[in-house]
Amino acid sequence: MGEEKTFYQEYEIFSKRTPSSAFQHQYSLLAPNEEMALIMAQENFMRREPVADIWIVNRKNIKRMNADEKLTLGRLENKDYRTTKGYGYLKKKWRKYEQEILDEKEILSWGGERK
Amino acid sequence: MDKAGKQVEVAMKWELIKTYTVTRFIVTEYLDGVYVTLWKASTMHMLDKGGTRMTNFNSTNDEKQLEQFMQRIEANDKIEASDWMPDEYRMTLIKLISMHGMSEIMGALPEKEWVPKAPTLQRKLGIMAKVQDEMGHGQLLLRVTEDLLVPYGKNRADLMQDLFNGDLKFHNVFHMETKTWADAGIIGWLVDGAAIITQTDMLKASYGPYARALQRICAEEVFHAQHGESIILALVEGTDLQKAIVQEALDRWWEPLLMFFGPASKETTGSSKQDLTIKYKIRTKTNEEFRQIFFDKYIPRIISLGLKIPDPTLRYDQDSKLWFYEQPDWNAFKKIIKNQGPRSEARLNLRRHSYEYNSWVRDALSTSSS
Repeated sequence: MGEEKTFYQEYEIFSKRTPSSAFQHQYSLLAPNEEMALIMAQENFMRREPVADIWIVNRKNIKRMNADEKLTLGRLENKDYRTTKGYGYLKKKWRKYEQEILDEKEILSWGGERK
Repeated sequence: MDKAGKQVEVAMKWELIKTYTVTRFIVTEYLDGVYVTLWKASTMHMLDKGGTRMTNFNSTNDEKQLEQFMQRIEANDKIEASDWMPDEYRMTLIKLISMHGMSEIMGALPEKEWVPKAPTLQRKLGIMAKVQDEMGHGQLLLRVTEDLLVPYGKNRADLMQDLFNGDLKFHNVFHMETKTWADAGIIGWLVDGAAIITQTDMLKASYGPYARALQRICAEEVFHAQHGESIILALVEGTDLQKAIVQEALDRWWEPLLMFFGPASKETTGSSKQDLTIKYKIRTKTNEEFRQIFFDKYIPRIISLGLKIPDPTLRYDQDSKLWFYEQPDWNAFKKIIKNQGPRSEARLNLRRHSYEYNSWVRDALSTSSS
């Protein structure tokens, strides 16, 4: 094993459109090494759209989940206490005190200047 | 130990207990999902197996797997490369996608013939971009095929050999000659138009990697179709000679375009993938349905440009909402897909030559795969 030489190594390509966006998977390609993979990634997948960065990962370095492992990804259905959904009743309670609930939309709007 | 020291010790112990409790709580909280899922899986497995084993979640029962697989297909779940799949599904995908991928590569060849002969610099840049896109589509699709070939121990080099020895077919339209610049326009406008009809139907294909590749391919095909429209509209608004070469190209391409979608039933050529691809929700429509959609969309446009469709029998029936047309020569089609078309051998030779001529690059850059 491993002694056989090949021109075809499998690389998974990830890229992001802007410096602030998250990396996204962009298909895979065959290349003999990382440098060629990078050139081919640009030629194959980034001919038009803006791109800010590219990651090249040899597939042998990726641990994938098999179908049985994917079974562990199921979520319990009674986890409302983890989400704002489980606290929806607060809105009504706050109304009694003549106050608005500080919901996700409100809280995530707080980053800017004081209004 | 003095009083202060005792207090520190108690405080530290309390801190430890708190940390331990919180950590334990967090860990338990985090793991409960995993535990319950594993428990559910093992219980289900025990029920399956009559409670004899509980460590192995793998069902070795093919029938059971096939049933679960078909349930996933029915539920519009996406099948991934590493998932279990019946051989029939795998083989159907390999045949379909390897042919699609090789057709993209072989399809770039008739078009590349027009790069040096494009009438303006702008046209040259446009058709070069399109040729590059087609090769990119070929690479994307061959990757999808190669992942499906893993259980058979085959790779890209094998696919190339299959193409060269005729086991792997490429699309009938790419066996044809291109005689004038109008052919470049007809290929972009109508051949890519026909391809868009079949490919957009498979955007929701049950096989995830193919559906994702098609997302990108179809987006680029829109550019190709408009590139073709741009060439055709410039020609039909041009001189008499320019108009004439469009009509002449349409006359030659009409029959290959009818053949593009394949025969209506497998009786014509002896085999057809259409039933299997529909069964496994890879596509939703039959060859004839695709052809009718092509007529709906393109016949009015062709006529609006003052072009004549070379079929005097062509008519639309209001009641059945179907187009009636003269069948192409399906015997000629059978020859073409056996690599006996007008340019089959020449284009295969070009590909063989390029593959062999560049083999030193593959040798020089090959590295150990481990």
